[in-house]
Amino acid sequence: MISPDSVTTTGPIVIPDHRPVSVPFGLPADAVCVSRSLPTGEHVEVLSVPLEETAAPWPPATDGGPGGLEDTIRRWVSALASPAATVVVVPLYGCHVAWTAGRAAVIGPPERLGQLEAAVVEFAGVEADLRDAERRAAALLDTVEGDVATSLSLDEHSPDRCAELADRHRRAVAVGRRLALLAPLVHTPPLHPPTLASQLGERLRERTRLVERLEFATQRAEFAERVAEACGQRALEAGIARRQLGLEWAIVVLLVVQTALLVVELLSHRATP
Amino acid sequence: MTFSSQDATARPLRVGIVGGGPGGLFTAWRIEQLASARFAITIFEASHRLGGKVLTPSFTTAAARYEAGAAEFYDYSPVGDDPLRGLVRSLGLATVPLTGAAVIVGGRRIANLDDAGAVLGQDGREGLLAFDAWARSAMTTREFYDSGSDHAATAAPDGRFDAALAATCRLPARSYVEAMIHSDLATEPATTTAGYGLQNYLMNDPAYMRLYRIAGGNEQLVTAIATRLAARIRLGTTVTRIAGVPRAPLTVGWRDGDAVREEEFDVVILALPVGPLSQVVITDTALRTSLARHVAHHDHPAHYLRVTLLIDRPVRGVPGGDDYLMLDAFGGTCLYVESSRDPTATHGVLGLLIGGAAAAELAGETDDVLAAAAVEALPPGLGIGRREVLEARVHRWNGAVSAAPGGWVPLPVDRRHRPSPAHPNLFVVGDYLFDSTLNGVLDSAEHVAGWVAADLAGDPDGVQPQQNHA
Ligand SMILES: Cc1cc2nc3c(=O)[nH]c(=O)nc-3n(C[C@H](O)[C@H](O)[C@H](O)COP(=O)(O)OP(=O)(O)OC[C@H]3O[C@@H](n4cnc5c(N)ncnc54)[C@H](O)[C@@H]3O)c2cc1C
Repeated sequence: MISPDSVTTTGPIVIPDHRPVSVPFGLPADAVCVSRSLPTGEHVEVLSVPLEETAAPWPPATDGGPGGLEDTIRRWVSALASPAATVVVVPLYGCHVAWTAGRAAVIGPPERLGQLEAAVVEFAGVEADLRDAERRAAALLDTVEGDVATSLSLDEHSPDRCAELADRHRRAVAVGRRLALLAPLVHTPPLHPPTLASQLGERLRERTRLVERLEFATQRAEFAERVAEACGQRALEAGIARRQLGLEWAIVVLLVVQTALLVVELLSHRATP
Repeated sequence: MTFSSQDATARPLRVGIVGGGPGGLFTAWRIEQLASARFAITIFEASHRLGGKVLTPSFTTAAARYEAGAAEFYDYSPVGDDPLRGLVRSLGLATVPLTGAAVIVGGRRIANLDDAGAVLGQDGREGLLAFDAWARSAMTTREFYDSGSDHAATAAPDGRFDAALAATCRLPARSYVEAMIHSDLATEPATTTAGYGLQNYLMNDPAYMRLYRIAGGNEQLVTAIATRLAARIRLGTTVTRIAGVPRAPLTVGWRDGDAVREEEFDVVILALPVGPLSQVVITDTALRTSLARHVAHHDHPAHYLRVTLLIDRPVRGVPGGDDYLMLDAFGGTCLYVESSRDPTATHGVLGLLIGGAAAAELAGETDDVLAAAAVEALPPGLGIGRREVLEARVHRWNGAVSAAPGGWVPLPVDRRHRPSPAHPNLFVVGDYLFDSTLNGVLDSAEHVAGWVAADLAGDPDGVQPQQNHA
């Protein structure tokens, strides 16, 4: 029985520019595992297992069973995933892919492995970016109620809190911008005629529900931005009101001084015979 | 004077619909939704069920359903408004997407350009790309969407599809394209137009169209509409005769045992396929001549034969997680793994949709012979032989759909639906007036229902027959 995290190895194989990672025990000797860095700073370990394919329309049904190659890669990928994390398994035409955040494994014909890996890494980049944006959008929501309360209780001691609200607004806009930049990547129209790599990208996007996730994250960011904008507006009004109050007091002081001067002048006139 | 310009106390407009298939049901449903004045609809259906070619029966050996007629719904929403999708949604029916990319050519799978290169060679791959580019430039997504309407225009060549294929798609890519579209076409490239052939190729591109089915069986659409209709429904009533002089109410006649029964209607809508339509006896000479001309113009039968196998175990989904693939057997056949998305399935259901000349030829064979031929055509890797088949069901659909022959020019949409100007109260509805699909028959039903509703509202552009009770 292969332990899911057994990483004793058939020997790491180095791919230039990518950090080699140990290949799980029990896989063919020509399997390769590398760690690729993603634009978010995260890494994804990609395990590639070359397997000759017959282009048979219906490959024999035995390869997916316990202990088979497909099972091994699925367990290797699942080993990294937290219980709540998604593990996606995609049986595609002549290849088999398992993915979770941080790990992916591809079984396919040697001549197609390169493009399959590239498709997985490209997808992993978009997914990681979206996951990060989702996290930030969720964090924005955590503070909205507090921000509304703050904006309604602003007083002369609040300049720090105003800056806080402005920062929150800026962050909401930044998450919105990031989601807007991701949208074309998530909504990439299916290529026709498709390539194996484009089909894999579509399946992964579909199975990880990127479109729906993008939509929800965008809604959250928009909501947080609307609240931040309203709170900012309120802070602005409070600031203006504060300044107006200062001005009013200045006018009152001036009037008092002017009146006092007038009184002094009148009294001095009277005193002079 | 319009039908509806009777005073408020007058009886409701009597509408007779002949045919209780999707065409008849859609028309009744739309009239009931659109009409603003009183009306009474009667639907005549020859068989003892509604739904025509949309039927989802069950096997007897196990409680497993299958689609015996229309298996796919076409979703045009990537390009524009899709009334059928809207109807399905408004009825609250859950849908499931249908996907399938693989074509089996000579026992090898082509599911993408990489496979095309491996199976057909570099030349075949390039041939396919060149044909695809030509097809998309000959018919844009918008032109595809508008095909069938009066303003339809494409850069597709006039004439037959086989000639267009020969000129634009070199071998071996052509064999792949032919196998891929044959089952949708239901006819041969030599007996259809280049435009119709192109539509059937382009429908595989998700930018043009997507496919879905109704969860729990497509017949649920029929049931959902039927339960909402206020119309009177006469099942088991084969209409044999339409009588009536120009600009007068029409009489619908049917046989009831030895007796012939009749009923008078202000408006009659014949929602029948071309074959049954040609068998209805028309007493009025002018109407008979017009309908004969209408039938002759549209009589281009295409054929289907569906063989569905119940397998003794669940069948693994099509590789790639698809619901169907195309086999090059029988000139191009669609193999649906109908049980593919049901994790609770205890049995497998495999449906083969054979089309065109092969369907017409094989229709004379016995069910046993057809079941054996279907098993023979299954991909060997599936591991299914005769022993695994618990039950086979065969549905012969000879002449049940239409092919547009090369050079065929559709009539203007109004003329298509009202064949006799002298009988403005007689309409026809059918998928053959558009593209032999459920979307087509809904378009047709909408057109006629809109006309009848406009008349009921007293719109001078409505039906406009003279009321003549003489
Ligand atoms: C095998 C097959 C597969 C198909 N697949 C698809 C698909 O995947 N997607 C798609 O969109 N479309 C598909 N179609 C086409 C689709 O089924 C038709 O577009 C649709 O059924 C047409 O509806 P209709 O009401 O015009 O005709 P029908 O469905 O044929 O209904 C006509 C009705 O009229 C009744 N009738 C006939 N004569 C008389 C008479 N004299 N008096 C009273 N009643 C009469 C019949 O019993 C029948 O119920 C398929 C068709 C077939 C045969």
